[in-house]
Formats: sequence, C-alpha cells, structure tokens
Amino acid sequence: MSTGTDISFFFHPRAVAIVGASPRHGKPSQVILESLRRIGYPGAIYLVNPHHATIDDITCYRALSEIPDEIDVAIFAVPAATVLEIMERTENIKGAIIVSAGFKETGPAGVTREEQLKALATRKGIRIIGPNCLGIYDTISQLDTFFTPEARVQRPPRGGLSILTQSGSFAQTIMDELAAAGIGVARVVSYGNRVDVGESDCLSFLMDDEATKVIIIYMESVDDGRRFVEIAARCTQKKPVVVVKVGKREAGMHAARSHTGAISGRYEIYRAAFKKAGIVEVDGYEGMKDAAKVLSTYQRVAGNRVLIITDGGGLGVSLADACEALGLKVPELSEGTQRSLRSKLPAFFVTSNPLDLTGSVTDEEYVIALEAGLQDEYDLVIVTVLWGPPKLTELLADKLNAVRDKQAKPVLICSPGGEFTRRMAARFETHGMPVFTTLESAARAAAMLAGRTR
Amino acid sequence: MSKTEAKQLVKDARTSGRHALLEPEAKALVAAWGIPVPRAVRIEGITDLAGALAALTPPLVLKVVSRDIMHKRDVGGVITGINDYEAVRAAVRELQANLAAHAPRARLDGFLLEEMVSPGIELLLGGLRDPQFGPAVIFGTGGFAVELVKDVSFRLAPLTREEALAMMQEIKSYPLLTGFRGSKPMDLEALAAAVIALGDILQELEEIQELEINPLVVSDAGAVAVDARVVFA
Repeated sequence: MSTGTDISFFFHPRAVAIVGASPRHGKPSQVILESLRRIGYPGAIYLVNPHHATIDDITCYRALSEIPDEIDVAIFAVPAATVLEIMERTENIKGAIIVSAGFKETGPAGVTREEQLKALATRKGIRIIGPNCLGIYDTISQLDTFFTPEARVQRPPRGGLSILTQSGSFAQTIMDELAAAGIGVARVVSYGNRVDVGESDCLSFLMDDEATKVIIIYMESVDDGRRFVEIAARCTQKKPVVVVKVGKREAGMHAARSHTGAISGRYEIYRAAFKKAGIVEVDGYEGMKDAAKVLSTYQRVAGNRVLIITDGGGLGVSLADACEALGLKVPELSEGTQRSLRSKLPAFFVTSNPLDLTGSVTDEEYVIALEAGLQDEYDLVIVTVLWGPPKLTELLADKLNAVRDKQAKPVLICSPGGEFTRRMAARFETHGMPVFTTLESAARAAAMLAGRTR
Repeated sequence: MSKTEAKQLVKDARTSGRHALLEPEAKALVAAWGIPVPRAVRIEGITDLAGALAALTPPLVLKVVSRDIMHKRDVGGVITGINDYEAVRAAVRELQANLAAHAPRARLDGFLLEEMVSPGIELLLGGLRDPQFGPAVIFGTGGFAVELVKDVSFRLAPLTREEALAMMQEIKSYPLLTGFRGSKPMDLEALAAAVIALGDILQELEEIQELEINPLVVSDAGAVAVDARVVFA
C-alpha cells in the first residue's frame, strides 16, 4: 500500500494494531493498550501476539497478516531483531510506529538494521514513525501510543499546540509540565531515530491542520534541510512555528580553507535556515515552555510596548530590565492615564511604568490599574503579583480575568514565590491566564509575543 | 569576463584537478556577477611592465599569485604604495626575495599588479555550500581577525534585498556603515547588491564549496572586492 507523501492517516487512523501485545503489567505494549483505552481511541484496536489467544478479553492474532482488516497504524513493541521479520510478512499496514529501541542508537549492527528497515519500508510503501520513539499523542483523533504510564507522566488536555520531537524524553517532560499547567495540545509526535517520517512531513500536515494553532519543534538535526525550509516557510505564513535547537556546539562540516569555513559552525547555518523560514527560535527547554504557554493562549502582537503592573517595586524594575534586554519597550503611561489613575489610586502609588501598587494594594486597585493600562497604548501587559500584601484575596485571579476578557490585549501573569503563590497561580491558570514563575520567563514570553526572541 | 566565461573558467580549473581559483580568477568570477574589483594586470615578472603600468593609475599594490600560498601577507607576498616604474621593479625583486625566504617551495603563478582601493570599511562577504541547507551567505566585519571578532550574520541563498539589509543590521559594527561620528553613510545599496550576487554565484555554480571576499572595502562611493578566494567542493 503506497501512501506517497501523505501521512495524514497517522492523525486519523481507522484501525490500529499493537504488535507484541502483552497482558503483563508494565510492559510497554500493555501500557500502550491502557493509553489507547484511557484516551478513548474510537477506532478498531487489534492485538498481535502468537503466544496469547486473548488479552483483556480482546482477540489476539498470531500475525498482522491474519487480521481481516486494513491497519492504518501498526504499533511495534517487539524486540528490534524481530521488527523486520514481521514487517516483511505483512501486506495490510499503511503506517508503523516502531517504539522498539535497538537500532541506529546502539552501534554498527543497529545502523545496518535501521538501513534494512528503511529499505524494506520503502519497498513495501509503509510509512514509519520511529524507531526508538514514543509515537503519537493526539487529542483530536484520540490516539495515545506513549508507553509511559499516565500515573507517572500526565497527559495534557485538548488544545491548539502541536509538538514535533526527536527526543522522547523531551516529549514526556513537556507534556507532563503542560498538563500540570493546564495547557492543551493537539498532536504530539515523537519520531526518535526518524528513519522516515520527520519534521518536514509532519509540518506539511500540520500547516493545514485546523486543530493546530502553534507548532513547537525540538530539533537535534534536520531531516532534509532544503525541504524543511521550504515547507516551514509556507507553514509560518499560517501559524507560528517555534524551534528549540540542541547540539549547538557541533563543529562545522566545512573545510576550513577560508575564514568563512572556519567561522561557520553547523548551528550558525541552522539559525540562518530558521530565519529564512520565519521560524521563531527559543533558547533551550525553559524558553520552549514559555513559548508553549504564551503562544497557545494569545495571538502575536504588532508592536513591542509593554506595561508592567506590580506590587513590588524591585521586581518591577528587574522585569523592566529583562524586557528591555530582549528588545521590548517599557514606555511611560500617557498623561491621560496617569491623571485618571491618580484620581482613583492612593497618592503614594507611583503612576509610571512599572506601575507600582505597593504592598498596600487591594484586588480592586489591581483591577483599576489593569483596566486603565489596557486602554493605554500598550501592546501587552505583564501583571506581577507578589502575594505578601495582606489585603489581596484569593479572588484576584477571577477579577483580573474579568477585566482581561473585555480586551483583546495579552495579559501575562508573573508570580514568583512559594507554596501559597503556586496555589494562587493555579487559579489564574484555571482561567487560561498564563503564569510565569520567574521574571526572565515572563520577559521571554512577552518578547515572543512581540516577535522579538533573540 | 561574462558569466558564461566565468563558469567555463571554474569548470576548466576543476577538470585540471585544481582545488581553488587563483586570486585574479576569483576576482574575475565575482566581477562577472557585478561585484566591483580593482583594476589590475597580471604580470609574469619585470619584462612586461610598461604595458601593465600604462593601464593602471597609482598608487598600486603588488601581490604574489600562487596556488600554494593561502595567506599572502604571512609570506611577505603583498607590497603596497607603489607609485612608478622603478618602484614596481623594486617591489617585484623584494617580493621574490620574500618568497625565496618564506615560501621557497611554492609554485609561482605570476604577480598581480593592482590599483589600491581608497580607504573604507573592511568587511567580510563569504559563502559556502552546506550539506543540509545548501548555499549560505555570511556577512560581517572583515580583516585578518575575523575568527577572533566573530561579528557576522548568516542567511541562506538566494537572498532578497530586505534580507541583505537585515544581515547588515545584525552585525555590531552596523553603525559604522550608517555614518559613525561624522563620517558619511556607506553605500548600503551597493553592499546589498554584492551580498545578493554572492548568493547567486553559489546558487549557479555548484562546484564552489566556499567563496570569500575579504576584505570587501565599502565607502560612500561603493563596495570593492580587494581579495577573493574560491574553493571547490
């Protein structure tokens, strides 16, 4: 079954099979079955294992070829050595997710095995995700092939963020953290060794995928440089694409017979490629988390003018510094806004930017400040909340959210602190307000919204 | 030299097993794509000087041309400030002595007698073919300490005028280009044209692995490739 370049069937599979299904608790294949059931995968699930007649009351087939159905996605959770053998004898699968390790990453024998796998898949027209990967977590088609138990790695709810990654550990970690922050995802693809399907194929699907609003790519290397740039450039016309590039120290592959060769590392060329494609590059895991939070909540803004509202003077000034270092502007409030604020707020409040509401602040004063700020000429507002001021109540999140809802402008919450602060942060997150626990991350997120990342 | 002739030059050099172009060839190549180079005459020695001098306006610079010498200055292969016939003769002799002392085994492909370029800002304009992403262009602060200063910007070819201008804005010494402390603004349009042309050369000539103009001297009156290097894949 040749599918050409279209890999969309991975994102709405009618039937899936687990090859190497097992009833044994904790085995990857058993966790995958559990994952599929928990997410409520609506299609047909077939199990394959010659040593069992049934598993969990589901019929178990001796071989893929005995299944009287066409399989869109066969999930291989068997030892690497047997993957090729099984695939060779199979005619009824369109795509495979090979979670098994034991390929290129293990040395010369593994490299050979992986080359054989590639040749076999090409010959049979089977598209492959993996090997050595977690596969797909998809809230739209309700597919979850991750073999990490949900009790250990939480799954995020449905949302507009899609993630492409070579690293499985990265996929799990970010998913767990997004779930904890209440941020939803659409499609997460972990393609591991990337013998076939990689970021270019996935991007060409995601660019027209209505469920996907923002794409994040964790990249060690690129699958096909020129094709990636061409597809990503079209994709960024439609939705933001954010990339985290790791392995930045990789030396240039260029013969250093000139200054140009000597100075051109691999990473420099990657950056040039990202620029060409209009991709937003973020620095490391933390930067990626900030991007995920902010871009899945807000549209990017046209300008770079930031208003900072704070109840801690020092925090406000530090945040202003961090913003300016990233190319944002922190301009003064307009005369009109200052006048209006002075008439509504106590005289000892400083009506400049940062707008310092001091330790005597009340919920209502935060509301007054945010209302006025949103009407002034700013592109976005960062509200920093330190929970020390005794007059603040737990209702602050609800009240600020009510003000925000009337305005299209992004409002970011910056709230560093300990246990109580984290509890309050959850209240903001319930309303879908992104909360940043450090000044640096709030500034980075603001810069990302303003299209100024480096 | 036309683009077609320049392409043929590259093919011939490749066919004859060479790994790079000589400076006069590299300059002819970039000139074919519209990047200005100084007026110059390639000479074999002191016998054919009169004709060469008649074609040039001093002050002149004399450079060694050798396929075996990568850094001319390191072996005393560049002599500047030459104003007349006698000075050229002296310079040729001096240069020959320098080579005998510092690069005795280098094969000599003649000398390049060239008009000196009026002062400006020294830039680096380079390009290379990346195995993954294809032709990339590099622009930045030039001179002999490029690796030390590392004030450069990268883009993939082909480039638009906007991309070329954005590259310039990314380097730290950009203010030098726009008129620093009373100096006139440099000819940014000429620079942009050179940056775009360099990307085009890499797009059109797949044999080229690295191409470097260093320095590219820019002033308010334009940009001139003072030295050029072309390395094959």
